[in-house]
Amino acid sequence: MMHAADTPTLPKNLPDLCVRCATCMAVCPVSRVTPLFPGPKQAGPGAQRFRSASQVSVDDWIELCTACRLCDTVCPAGVPISELNLMAKAKYRDERGGTLRDWLLVRSDRFGELFSRFSAIVNPLMKQRAVRWLLDKALGIDRRRELPAFDSPTFRRWFRNRPVAADAASRPTIAYFYGCFTNTNDVDVGKAAVVCLEAHGYTVSVPHQRCCGIPRLGVGDLRGAREMGLRNLSLLLPKVREGTDIVFSSTSCGMMLRHEYGPLLDLPGAEELATHLFDICAFLLRLQEEKQAPLSYRRLEAKAAYFTPCHLRSLNEGLPALELLRLVPGLDVRLIEAECCGLGGLYGFKKEKYAITAEVGKDLAKEVARMKPDVILTDCEGCRMQIRHLTGMRVLHPLQLLRDALPPADTPADIGAVPNRSPA
Amino acid sequence: MKRWDLIVIGAGLAGLTAARTAVDMGAQVLVVGRGMGSLALFGNTIDVLGRIKPAEDMEAGVAGWIAAHPEHPYARTGWPGISEALDAFRDLFPPPYTFDAVGGGNSLVPTGAGTLRPTYLLPVTMAAGAGISAADTLIVGLKGFKDFQGDTVSLHLQCRGVNLSLPRYGLEGLTALGLARLMDEVPFRESLGEAIRRQMAGEQRIGLPAVLGLTAPAEVLRTLEAVTRAKVFEIPMLPPSIPGTRMFHRFRQHLIARGATFLLGNPVTGADVKEGRCEEVILQNPPLLNHHRADRYILATGRFLGGGLQAGMEKISEPLFHLPVHQPDRRGKWFGERFFQTEAHPIHCAGIVTDADLRPIDAGGKAVLKNVWVAGSILAHHQMIDEHSHQGIDIATGYLAARRALAS
Repeated sequence: MMHAADTPTLPKNLPDLCVRCATCMAVCPVSRVTPLFPGPKQAGPGAQRFRSASQVSVDDWIELCTACRLCDTVCPAGVPISELNLMAKAKYRDERGGTLRDWLLVRSDRFGELFSRFSAIVNPLMKQRAVRWLLDKALGIDRRRELPAFDSPTFRRWFRNRPVAADAASRPTIAYFYGCFTNTNDVDVGKAAVVCLEAHGYTVSVPHQRCCGIPRLGVGDLRGAREMGLRNLSLLLPKVREGTDIVFSSTSCGMMLRHEYGPLLDLPGAEELATHLFDICAFLLRLQEEKQAPLSYRRLEAKAAYFTPCHLRSLNEGLPALELLRLVPGLDVRLIEAECCGLGGLYGFKKEKYAITAEVGKDLAKEVARMKPDVILTDCEGCRMQIRHLTGMRVLHPLQLLRDALPPADTPADIGAVPNRSPA
Repeated sequence: MKRWDLIVIGAGLAGLTAARTAVDMGAQVLVVGRGMGSLALFGNTIDVLGRIKPAEDMEAGVAGWIAAHPEHPYARTGWPGISEALDAFRDLFPPPYTFDAVGGGNSLVPTGAGTLRPTYLLPVTMAAGAGISAADTLIVGLKGFKDFQGDTVSLHLQCRGVNLSLPRYGLEGLTALGLARLMDEVPFRESLGEAIRRQMAGEQRIGLPAVLGLTAPAEVLRTLEAVTRAKVFEIPMLPPSIPGTRMFHRFRQHLIARGATFLLGNPVTGADVKEGRCEEVILQNPPLLNHHRADRYILATGRFLGGGLQAGMEKISEPLFHLPVHQPDRRGKWFGERFFQTEAHPIHCAGIVTDADLRPIDAGGKAVLKNVWVAGSILAHHQMIDEHSHQGIDIATGYLAARRALAS
């Protein structure tokens, strides 16, 4: 007998599911550092009971929710708390209009391509105190927050120009959703992803893609997020229909593509995409577990600390990167016991929110100081930026370290070692 | 697809205990929880059987209780089973943050409502609250912190109380988590200790809301005791519970370090059962349905709050495996005459009936599923609130279920 079918789907947007138990208050990273945000119980279902479509929003503290979604992962009643917050943010934005800052920040994919081309000029410029002062005063982009440097060439360009392996056509194909940040600011993550997938016998393809849309969602721009979603679906679904699965290396992009396109944005074809979309570490781990002869990683003597991005918790796949890293002999990898890095994506670049993100990050920084690792690993680019900012340490995507541990025969000669990237 | 040795459904104290017992036996374990269980709500101390008077011997008390209640979950474990499981629990909390029975048996500890309640194991941060007397105790509330009303507590306990404010830190509107984070900072707890000392009038013990730090509570206690030169204790209060959150973190840390996988935030909405065996469970992670397979399953989904039991208009059901639920024969018998009556309401005895190995059985006493074991408050024939037995049942049956499951 199969009971799945007779269980009704959870109702959406129903604040009355909330039993006011306050478990969410035990995990919210924001309400523990500032009384300005009342916390998920009050901001989500609590306030939702008083919100009316016909009345002007009065709860501007809703902007302080970072959309980490940790509340959703602990609620015993299945209340879609972060979604309630998001809808409230969207209504707020509809009433007041978007800001120039948001307009600029959510288009970092487009600007990124341009800046990457002129990285020799842009990167030094972005470190100029006068420029940062101007961005701070005119746009409210906090000058204490390092802006990520741009790589040149982009990941896409690098990929297009590399030689195709002779046996590429005979291998199974996997498509890679690299995400904007990998493309223009962290190209090495993309390179590592390609090398790791190839080491497992795959031919990698990189379908055309746009920003997943999560930055737009974060500022309450539901229409913009939908638009990005529709574009990506039209670019990615043909791959899926050819029988190619897709992997992502950014947990935030992945969470958006897999769990927001359908359930939240209700985009046609979202479910079809979701069933063929995998976290790259979960995908590699499955290959290791299922393959007759799994890759045996080389010995790497290092003390690593792994941090769980909030959106990996929402993906709800466990800790595949940590499990993969545990397969590397000699690598002493431990979990950082902290709930959230505090950046919240674009949130952490905003002047009025900087203090909150810094305070949330303190817990993580304290834990890192206690652990004294050689390297910190995490799947999310936002977490990596924030942890570099907090600790000044070397912070990598787990794939960058796994690439170093691949057996020599499988590592193509034209790939350099992991760059020891100093804090941006 | 990966096949686990054991899937534990439910991430409350029963499920966590089962998972922890299993990983320590070397099993590959998956824990799936719709939320994070109720530890962050009312996990504070470990109740075993509050009906036993503080001066009485626990072993004899539990034996007597089982003799009078042969269907109670404790009848499956006996005192030796409870004691072994509690020892395992205590091993998870090495010094300095330990759980101990003050005086060897039950003790009475103050609550956030200013009452005294019986409990068995206390974290070291609450030990000094056991057996307080009005004359030597000062209750300290914090102005602006809504979840603990020091005045109410001190009024009911008939001891002296003060409400402090620390202007430098701006406590107005802070949550329990916010306070606990501040306590983790040495300068804050030193200032608080100083402020308390200035208010003291010869008291030997200081009661504070249970917010003495998230990461290093024993160190917070040590600082406060050093500065005030008095015994300091935490008083459990309204949710969220900081001591419960500490417990959850400790279990999670241990389980992940031992290779267990945690999936929290999505409900298990389906089970595929063939010929009396559960083949797989289905996790609803919209828009996906994720299938997970194991050789054995432990059902520790709790009662009505966690969704382990559901009350319909006429019947109480178990929604995942559709197990038989022991319950009053009609709705009219769910509740007694008055809400605040002294006898427990019959609905609280509803739950799953099992064999001696904690496998669910039907009315005829026949096991209904071969590879499913049941643990925690979802079990029938207990009155955990009335008996003060919640955590004891969770720990003893979670431990036993895992041992029995892995022995099969």
